[in-house]
Amino acid sequence: MKTELLIVGAGAAGIAAALSAWEAGCRDILLTDRRECTGGILPQCLHEGFGLAQYGAELTGPDYTDRITERLEHTGVRLVLGTEVLTIRGDKTALLSDRSGLTELHFERLILASGCRERTIGSLPVAGTRPAGIFTAGQVQEMMNLRGQNIGQEVLILGSGDLGLIMARQFVLTGKHVIAVVEKESRYGSMARNYHRCIVPYHIPILYRTTVAAIHGEGRISGVTLRHLDSGAEERLACDTLVTALGLIPERELVRGLGEPDWLFLAGNCHRVHDLVDSAVAEAEAIGTRVGGEFA
Amino acid sequence: MKQFDVIVIGGGLLGCFAARNLCRWKLHIALIEAREDVCTGISRANTAVIYPGYDHRPGSLKAKLTLRANARFGTLCEELDVPFSRCGSLMLSFGEKADEVLKKKYENGRMMGVPGLRLLSGREARELEPGLAPGVRSALYAPTAGTVNPWELGIAAAENAAANGAELFLNTRVLAIRQIADGYRIETDQEVFACRVVINCAGLQAERVQEFLLPSPVHIVPDGADYLILDKAAEHKPTHIVQYEPEDGGKGLTAVPTVEGSLLLGPSERENEIPFAVSEKGLAFVRERTESVLPDLDLGEVIRSFAAVRPNPQKGDGRSIVSFVIENPGPGFWSLIGIKTPGMTCADELGFYIAEKAAACLGAEGNEAFCPIRKGIRKARNMSPEQRGAAVRENPDYGEIICCCEDVTRAEVLEAIRRGAATLDGIKRRTGAGMGRCQGSRCQQKLLALLAQELGIPEDAVTKDGAGSELLGGGRHED
Ligand SMILES: Cc1cc2nc3c(=O)[nH]c(=O)nc-3n(C[C@H](O)[C@H](O)[C@H](O)COP(=O)(O)OP(=O)(O)OC[C@H]3O[C@@H](n4cnc5c(N)ncnc54)[C@H](O)[C@@H]3O)c2cc1C
Ligand SMILES: Cc1cc2nc3c(=O)[nH]c(=O)nc-3n(C[C@H](O)[C@H](O)[C@H](O)COP(=O)(O)OP(=O)(O)OC[C@H]3O[C@@H](n4cnc5c(N)ncnc54)[C@H](O)[C@@H]3O)c2cc1C
Repeated sequence: MKTELLIVGAGAAGIAAALSAWEAGCRDILLTDRRECTGGILPQCLHEGFGLAQYGAELTGPDYTDRITERLEHTGVRLVLGTEVLTIRGDKTALLSDRSGLTELHFERLILASGCRERTIGSLPVAGTRPAGIFTAGQVQEMMNLRGQNIGQEVLILGSGDLGLIMARQFVLTGKHVIAVVEKESRYGSMARNYHRCIVPYHIPILYRTTVAAIHGEGRISGVTLRHLDSGAEERLACDTLVTALGLIPERELVRGLGEPDWLFLAGNCHRVHDLVDSAVAEAEAIGTRVGGEFA
Repeated sequence: MKQFDVIVIGGGLLGCFAARNLCRWKLHIALIEAREDVCTGISRANTAVIYPGYDHRPGSLKAKLTLRANARFGTLCEELDVPFSRCGSLMLSFGEKADEVLKKKYENGRMMGVPGLRLLSGREARELEPGLAPGVRSALYAPTAGTVNPWELGIAAAENAAANGAELFLNTRVLAIRQIADGYRIETDQEVFACRVVINCAGLQAERVQEFLLPSPVHIVPDGADYLILDKAAEHKPTHIVQYEPEDGGKGLTAVPTVEGSLLLGPSERENEIPFAVSEKGLAFVRERTESVLPDLDLGEVIRSFAAVRPNPQKGDGRSIVSFVIENPGPGFWSLIGIKTPGMTCADELGFYIAEKAAACLGAEGNEAFCPIRKGIRKARNMSPEQRGAAVRENPDYGEIICCCEDVTRAEVLEAIRRGAATLDGIKRRTGAGMGRCQGSRCQQKLLALLAQELGIPEDAVTKDGAGSELLGGGRHED
């Protein structure tokens, strides 16, 4: 199989890149995603706050997704969902896998819009056991909002980035108890907007200059040892769930080792982590326009 | 009461291989394991090395078994369809004293007949392994050293035993053993068993299990060990097993390029308060050692740390025992107590050794029907694109990726469940799902749903590794 432009990832960035590449004149675009629906991480973001710059309104993730996906329907971009891009090779071929088979695809240009993954607690030097009940914030967001899975009741959150704070609020609103948000720096890591919307109104405590030194519990997590970084003092806290929001890592494993070939472009969170969808989209549009123009 | 010829207690590496080898005789065999799966005890976490054997006292049981096991390991892994990488090992010296130690090991190994041993200069070692610290003075190269995944090996042996007729009883804990007229009566928390021969492979509990019958002259003093795992994409990983033992004694470092492609670093040594709990000091120690031996590695690529438990055998007077301890406290009763390194290397040989004794004791006939071959789960990631395409055409589940970090398909997960994985860790051990750089944060929720669906249980009954480790709901429900 062949295509002029392959776009990996049909999140906000991938869709934006596809739309603008189409507008710039490229007529052979394949947009793929491993998920069964478009939007990337957006469908799991039930809160409002997307697309202020683009649409002049604060939409929820799913609403925002509907808007951009609808625009896609008016183009001839071929959208292939439920399809994993397994490998990208230096000779401009991609290997795609889905339930109908394995496809080798030759492309002229590749826009990687594969988003990011979350840093997990495994990368931190945390002592103690490795019980059940430890999740990343994005994982919990997917579990609760897309799968209806209930994760636990007494929740401690490690990390005060946007994701951590947004989930803290959701926990409170769904009747869970947020024991605290634990942050190693002396200020929250999220945008001010999320601090004022998610933490302040609900009086959720944030413990600054504090970290989780050890995890306790066999089977399910039963608590943690907190360490206050300035005093070195430690205290034990009970919880049945630990949610980590330790930051996002651009997901570029597909192109690791390929260097910077002239046919490869990165857009959205796989390029750098964007706090706002508007900024991810603006970046992707610029790339889409440029790459699409080559085929006009 | 269930009646067997032989009952193996404990489904760790040793118990699984004992059961497998017992099947070489016409015997009615049961393997009893307290937990929900095999290989969840000591065997769930070790250094993953198949040792060449130059360290042991010539003529000792350990020396004999290790040498034979190493030579046969390739064949064993072919029989059991388990990935094995004979990557070779380099034991490093950074000082004069250590040079001497390596020479002694070299001489000892040669005397034992360890194949291919060579003493290398520092320069030669760095040619083989460019990432070694510049201070390396000499190295002992053992081309026959290799690595295998411990639980893959154990699970394969258990499956092979079961295919040859051994019965596996999971979630069954032995509570008492009594000698009866023609053998032993074994009480468990499920049912009562009777058998003529008992093989006690209860790992950390082996001393206790023996004490159901008679006092044990050997005591197990557990201690812990911490490990780090580096992402398979990390750069400057060594391609050989790299071992370092410091001049001043103390604990060294082993770096193992695993069959999965990641790098295993460890172990630290320390007192262990809680089994399998990681210690902060231990982790810091492994990091420090790694920086001094393999300075080019980026420790920012660590994706997981975990702890292992060592069952150190000691005599009554507190002296530690170096050799393999095989106790025979009663007729037809054998205990493997405190078998640590190289217990995995020797698992099949030890299994045969003990099975032979059991068979002789029972006067059992050889079993010509024994089939040593077991087929593993076909892994999509090991297939060529052509094979993989064919696999998807045959079974569309091979086209659906569940774990994107380790490239595990739905077909593999379903097959793992069919073969007995009943927990998230059970799937992880059989397929690799969740072992990669995102540590399951993108696939656990899918695996959870699949397990519930396949086992016909509600999602909130699905566990990570057995009762008490439910993934959903948390400890308290207030709704
Ligand atoms: C919890 C959270 C809350 C946020 N809140 C706001 C907010 O309120 N307002 C705001 O403006 N912004 C917000 N943002 C930021 C913004 O939404 C994101 O920056 C943006 O959506 C990122 O889009 P993306 O397309 O780069 O990545 P993603 O949405 O992650 O899309 C990447 C897609 O690539 C697919 N993919 C990756 N690899 C492969 C492969 N090998 N094969 C096939 N498919 C693949 C993935 O499945 C995914 O669908 C939030 C972000 C998060 C995480
Ligand atoms: C840190 C470390 C590193 C090692 N590295 C290596 C290496 O690199 N190479 C090598 O060759 N060897 C190595 N070894 C040695 C090897 O891992 C062990 O020898 C081996 O795993 C021991 O297995 P086991 O079957 O005796 O114990 P286990 O795996 O603990 O199995 C015992 C089983 O018995 C069950 N059990 C206990 N009590 C009962 C009961 N009452 N009823 C029913 N079941 C019960 C337990 O649940 C458990 O599953 C290492 C060991 C350690 C500790």
